[in-house]
Amino acid sequence: MAHNSTLGELLRSQGVSRRAFLKFCTTTASVMALPATLVPVMADALEQVRRPSVIWLSFQECTGCTEALTRSHAPTLENLIFNFISLDYHHALQAASGRAAEAAREEAMRENAGKYLLLVDGSIPTVKAYSTIAGISNLDMLMDSAPNAAAIIAVGTCAAYGGLPMAAPNPTSAVSVSDLIKDKPIINIPGCPPIPLAMTGVLAHYLTLGTLPALDALGRPLAFYGDTIHDRCYRRPFYDRGLFAKTFDDEGARKGWCLYKLGCKGPVAYNACANVKWNQGVSFPIQSGHGCIGCCEPGFWDNGGIYESIARGQFGTGPQMGVAGMVGAGVGAGAALLARSKKERAAAAHRAAE
Amino acid sequence: MNLLEFARGPVIHWALIILVAGTIWRLLGVLILTRGADLSRPRDAFGNFKGYRTVFSRAWPSGEFTVATRYQTIMAYFFHFATLIVVIGITPHIEFITSLTGYSWPALPNAVGVAVGTIALVSLIALIGRRLSMPKIYCSNIGDYVTWVLVATPLITGLLAFAHLGARYETMLAIHILSVAALFVWFPFSKLMHSFWFIFSRAQSGLSYAHKGVRI
Amino acid sequence: MSTPATITPIFPTFEQVCQGFGSQIGMLREMAPKPTHSAEVRVARAIDTLIAETNADEAVWLESCIHCGQCTTACHFFQATGETKYAPMRKMELYRRIYQREIGPFRWWYQLITSPIKLQDLEDLQELVYDSCSECGRCTMVCPMGIDTASLVHHLRSALVAAELVPPELSALREEQRHRGTVFGASSDTLLQMVKTISEHYGVEIPVDKASAEVMVLSSAVDLVANGNGLLATAKVMNHLGVDWTVCTDGFESANFGLLSGDMTLWRRQVEPIVAAAQRIGAKTLVIAECGHAYPALRWNPMLKSEDLPFDMVFMSEYMGRMAKEGRLRLSPLKGKITFHDPCKTGRRGGAFDEPRAVLKAMDADLVELPANREYNWCCGGGAGIFLLERATRLRDESFKIKLNQVNATGASMVVVSCASCRLNFEVGRVKNHWDKEVASLVELVADHLIEPPAAATAGAHA
Repeated sequence: MAHNSTLGELLRSQGVSRRAFLKFCTTTASVMALPATLVPVMADALEQVRRPSVIWLSFQECTGCTEALTRSHAPTLENLIFNFISLDYHHALQAASGRAAEAAREEAMRENAGKYLLLVDGSIPTVKAYSTIAGISNLDMLMDSAPNAAAIIAVGTCAAYGGLPMAAPNPTSAVSVSDLIKDKPIINIPGCPPIPLAMTGVLAHYLTLGTLPALDALGRPLAFYGDTIHDRCYRRPFYDRGLFAKTFDDEGARKGWCLYKLGCKGPVAYNACANVKWNQGVSFPIQSGHGCIGCCEPGFWDNGGIYESIARGQFGTGPQMGVAGMVGAGVGAGAALLARSKKERAAAAHRAAE
Repeated sequence: MNLLEFARGPVIHWALIILVAGTIWRLLGVLILTRGADLSRPRDAFGNFKGYRTVFSRAWPSGEFTVATRYQTIMAYFFHFATLIVVIGITPHIEFITSLTGYSWPALPNAVGVAVGTIALVSLIALIGRRLSMPKIYCSNIGDYVTWVLVATPLITGLLAFAHLGARYETMLAIHILSVAALFVWFPFSKLMHSFWFIFSRAQSGLSYAHKGVRI
Repeated sequence: MSTPATITPIFPTFEQVCQGFGSQIGMLREMAPKPTHSAEVRVARAIDTLIAETNADEAVWLESCIHCGQCTTACHFFQATGETKYAPMRKMELYRRIYQREIGPFRWWYQLITSPIKLQDLEDLQELVYDSCSECGRCTMVCPMGIDTASLVHHLRSALVAAELVPPELSALREEQRHRGTVFGASSDTLLQMVKTISEHYGVEIPVDKASAEVMVLSSAVDLVANGNGLLATAKVMNHLGVDWTVCTDGFESANFGLLSGDMTLWRRQVEPIVAAAQRIGAKTLVIAECGHAYPALRWNPMLKSEDLPFDMVFMSEYMGRMAKEGRLRLSPLKGKITFHDPCKTGRRGGAFDEPRAVLKAMDADLVELPANREYNWCCGGGAGIFLLERATRLRDESFKIKLNQVNATGASMVVVSCASCRLNFEVGRVKNHWDKEVASLVELVADHLIEPPAAATAGAHA
C-alpha cells in the first residue's frame, strides 16, 4: 500500500481525469446533501489527502453489512478500496489470513496511530469467551484499537445498538460500540443491513471534508437517517386516505395500499430506504409488499411483533386486566360493606343521642 | 428502553390496571351501600318503573331551560361525540382496541379523524373558556381544572402526532400515550366517573319523582 | 244558611294576618333554645346523623356532580342575587366532604388529604340549607345528572338539628311542637273555640270528634290563631259537598316542624296521632289543609307505610279537584283573568298538578298559565320554613320579584295559591312592592263561589 502519495497523485497515476474526479466530488456532495459551493473545497481537500488507513473489525456479526457494502454503487466498493481508502484489515475481503492478517492490523495501527478510521460491525459480547479472533476477545480488541483511532464508525444495527445478539434474553451479554467507547467520535450507521450508500457516503464525507457529518441524537448521519420511511414512502397517500392492506394477499395488498396494519414500522423508523432504496435504487421492502421492520432502530427485535402494527402495544394482557377488575371489585365491595356497618353504628349513636 | 417503548410498555400496562381496578372499586363501593326505603304508597302502580325514563329524557334539557342551557349543552355534546368518534374511529385506536378485545371495525379516513379531533379540541376550549369567564356559576375546584388538562392533553398530542406535526413522530406518540395513561389513572378518582354515575343518579331522581307522579 | 253578605266578617284579612304573624315571628327569636353540647359533640352528632341517612341513593348524587353550573339557572335565590354561595351545587360541598371521609369508597385517602369537619363548617352551612333553600326541586329539573339537591338538603338539615344549629325561629317552633305538640299556642281548646265562633257567627257547623266519619279534615295553627277564614272556607266546602266529615281534637295540626326543621323524630311523632285518629274513626280520606309542607309530611312520608293504611291522604286542592271532576262542586263563575301558582311541595315535589286546575275549570276561570308552570314553576321563595326566618328577608324579597314578573307576564289580575307559606310570602311581597295584583287562596275562593241548593237541602247537609 502506497501511503505516501496523495490521493490526487494516485488518481492521476491511474489515469483518472480531472473531470472524472470533479464529477465524483459533485456526486458525493449531492449524496451527502452538501451545498454545491463545497465541491471545489472538496476537490482541493481531496487532492491533498493521503489515503487514510481503515481498519475493519468484525465482531458478533453475520457479514450482512459487508455483503451490503459490496452492492454500493456510488462510490462503488472497488472504487473505494482502490482509490480512496487503504483497507488494511477486513476478514472477508483481505487476502491475508491467520497471523499475517493480525500482523497487518497491528502494523497499520502503529503506523497510523491517531489517524486511522476504525469500522466496527457486529455487537461485542461482554462475556468475552463468546467471540474471539486469533484468541483475542472482541471486547479486548475493541478496547485496544479504539484509543488510537481518529474516529469509529459502527456499521450495522449490531455495532450501533446491539442488534440481534442483544435481543432478549441476550445470552452473550452483547453491547454496542457506544456502550463501551465514550471518548471517541462515533458515527452509527444502523440498519440490518445498512443501506450501502450510507456507508460509502459517510466514508466519502469523512475523507473529503475530514469531519464527521451532522448526526442525530442517536449518532446517525442526518443525510441518510434524517427522515422516517413514513415521510418518504410512496404509499403515504393510501395511509392518509385510510386504505390499508389487511392481509398479504387481499385486494389492498394487490393494489399496493399502506401496510401499517400489517406491522409496518415506517412511522418510527429513520432511514433512507424509501428514497435511496436498495440494489441501486430498484426497490425496498414496502415496495415489495412487506412492511418495514424498523431495523435501523435500537431494540427493534424486542419492540413487538414484526406483523403487529405500532398501535398494538406490548402492554399486558386481558387476563391481567381481569385480575385487576376482580381486585377492584373485592376492595370496593369490602369498602361498601365496612361503610354499611359504620352507618349502622352511626345510626345507633344518633338514636342514643336523642 | 426509549420513551416510546416505556410509554407503550409498563406505563400503559399499569395505567390500564389502575383504570379497571379503580373504576370497579369506586362503582361497587358506592352501589353496594344500603338502599333508602321510601315506604309511602306510590301515586300509581307503575310509578316507579316510569322513573327510569329520566335516564334518557335528561339527555336534553327540557321545557323552559332549553334556551338558558343551549350553548353549553351543544358545546358539551360536540366535545363528547367528537372525542368518541376519534377514540373509536381512527385506525391506530382501532388497532389498539383490537389488540385488547379482538373486535375491529372500519376506520375513518385520516383527514376526517383530524377534522373531528379539531372539533373536539375547539369545543373543549370553548367549555373551559366559559368555565373561566363565569366563576360564580361554575364553582370550579382544582379537580375541574386538572380534569380539563388531562382530557385536553391527549387530544392535543394525539392531533399533533396523527397529523405528523410538532416533535418527531415517535416522541409525539410517546407523549400522547403517556398523557392517555395519565388520563386513565386519573379517571376513577375524578369527576370523569360521571360517565357511569349519570345513569344511576338520573334513575334515582327519576324514580323518586315518578313515585310521586312527577315526570322530571 | 245566611249569606256572607249579611254577616260582618270578624276574621282578619290576610293582609292583617301577615302583619300579626310578623310580630309573632319576631318573638320567636327570643325563645330559641341555646346549644347545650360542646363543639366536638355537636360535630360528631351531625356526622353520625348525616351518614346514618346517607344511602347509595344519596351517594350516587354526591358522586355525580360535574360542576356544570346549570343548576344556577333554575334557582331563584341565585338568580335573584347573583351570589355564588347560593348556587345549588354549593350545598353539596360539605356533604360530599363528609361522605367522602366517612363512607365513601376512597375514604382512607380522603381522610389523609382533607381536613376534619369543624363546627364552623356546619355554622356556615346553616345559611345554605335553611335560608337559601326551599327544597323546591327546581334545580333537579335542569341538572344533567338529575341530582336531587332538595333531598340532600333535607338530610343536611337533619344533621344540623343534631348539631343544634337550627335557625332560631324554626328552633323555637320545633321546641314548642316537641313539648306541646302544637305551635303558635294553638291547642285543641283553640280549635274548639274557633269552631264555636264559626258556628255562632257564621252559622257554619263543623263536626268535631265524631266517633266515625268518612273524611277526616286537618286544620293548622295559622288558621286557628290567625286566619279564621281558612277554616271557615274549608267548612263551607265540606258541607257543600255533603260528605260525612269531622275534625279531631287529637289530630288536627297539619304543620310539621319536624319536617321543616329537619328533625326526623319529631316529624314521625307529629304524624302518629293524626294517623291514629284517622284509623280510629275509620276514615277513608284524610284531607290536609292548605299547608304546603304538610303534604310531603303525610302523603310522601318515607317512614310511614301508607299502603297499609285504610285511608287516602290528599291535599285540599287535590280533594276539591277530585270533587270537581266528579261534578260535585257547584260553583259560580270566577270573573277576571287569573293565574295559578303551584306550591312546590304539592306540585313538583308532590304530583298534584291537575286537580287544582280542575277546580278552576269548574269555576269557568279564565286561567292563563305562568310562563314557567307545573313542574317548571318558580318557587315563591318562602317555603320550607324560610318565611319564618328574619335573616332570610332579603333573599325572600329579591327572589319573590321573579315570581312577581312571572305573574305580570300573564296579564292576570289575580294569582291563586294553595299553600299558607306561599300565600304569606305573596301577601308580604304584594305589600312591599305595591303590587296591583290580588292574591287568593284556592279554598277561600271556592268557598266564596259555592252555589248552594235551596235552604231545605242545606239543612240536611249540616252535620
